[in-house]
Amino acid sequence: MTSDQKTTILLLDDEPIVCKRLKPSLEKAGYDVEAFTKSRDAMHRLTEKQFDIAITDLKMDGMDGMAFLTEVKKRHPATEVIVITGFATMETARESYQKGVFDFVAKPFKLGEILEVVKKAEAKLGHVATRPN
Amino acid sequence: MRILFAADAHPYSAHALKKVIELARHTWADVTLLSVLPAQPALQGDISLPPQDPQVQALRRYREEFLESLGGPDSPYSLERWDHEWIPLRNGSWEDIKVCRGAKKDVKVRIRTGNADTEILNEAEKDGSGLIVLGCSKGGQCVWNASAATPRKVAGNAACSVLLAKEDKPIRRILACIDQISVSQESLEMINQLVSIHGAQLELVGLTQDGGAKSEAYTRLIQIGDYFSDKGIPVNARLAEQSKFESVISTNTGQDLVAFWMGKKSLLNLLFPRDWVERFVGVCQSSVLVLR
Repeated sequence: MTSDQKTTILLLDDEPIVCKRLKPSLEKAGYDVEAFTKSRDAMHRLTEKQFDIAITDLKMDGMDGMAFLTEVKKRHPATEVIVITGFATMETARESYQKGVFDFVAKPFKLGEILEVVKKAEAKLGHVATRPN
Repeated sequence: MRILFAADAHPYSAHALKKVIELARHTWADVTLLSVLPAQPALQGDISLPPQDPQVQALRRYREEFLESLGGPDSPYSLERWDHEWIPLRNGSWEDIKVCRGAKKDVKVRIRTGNADTEILNEAEKDGSGLIVLGCSKGGQCVWNASAATPRKVAGNAACSVLLAKEDKPIRRILACIDQISVSQESLEMINQLVSIHGAQLELVGLTQDGGAKSEAYTRLIQIGDYFSDKGIPVNARLAEQSKFESVISTNTGQDLVAFWMGKKSLLNLLFPRDWVERFVGVCQSSVLVLR
């Protein structure tokens, strides 16, 4: 990746308000973001493109976030997955950990919090880019 | 989620720590343990803290208890990332110190000096906390570290949600009092998490005063009830006069968590005196969650 390429993020949350809130904030921070509210659409996109980072909700209709995490890591092991959830449980946190999640962020969170996690994932990927403040 | 736990050396803080541990166990929250020491001239020019101070000792105990509870294998808090970091000292100098951080999440332990409620609120703002947790005594005098003002001021003035933990009892029911014209997404998500973590029943209570604001309260009650129902959370809803509700919460069992919203558009703020929140916090016999 060259320094002028943007880090790509796939965002999946079945609550439109979450995508509506997160997508512009991440784009403003300099990321290339594609947002989905249906897991099947996000899965289909993954067959076409490898993203650097995937941010997914856990509890969704159809394929849930845990299955999505499994699929992403199977298809693109280098993609760092950040799980966000409104219904955190010890079991899902532990399962996410064992499946190789980069981080687990429980709602409610502030935008700065998710941006910080994304930056850490970016650093792990070795992406160093100048971001707007 | 970022949690600021404001702790003193009293037993209710140890009970409140259990609530923090339970939240962190499920949410992987970033946690800061904070104590506030009174401003002392001796501390101003001296970098060392009094090691025998009960609050300093209590903070260490809380840190140990937190890590003993959550520091095992597959834990985001397990101390395993050793590294050298430049740590700022006084007078514009830095020292390269070897530190150990959590696998994915850190537990910060901090001490401030000065006015307790001011310092707690400043730390919450600086750290971007989403929830402040503090224990306090039960009864009409809701006291934290010998101050009745601190819990009420923190609850009344924080920019984020505040959990005042009064009981060392499991939370069986969440009574969420609706008085708002608008309710933030964050506050609904906070209720989601607490219902999920505690397996608690959710009861929505639309507060009215002498029949005032009934239609607004009723509309909000329906909308918020629908939100939780859509999430698969069973919910009971009812309207209640504020005066009657106040007498109910002053005699309840202690296994309830009484939650209410406080924001710029609160009908309670419009209808009731500003100090209603502070009185409410004192009257309530069980733990209180102030949502924002």
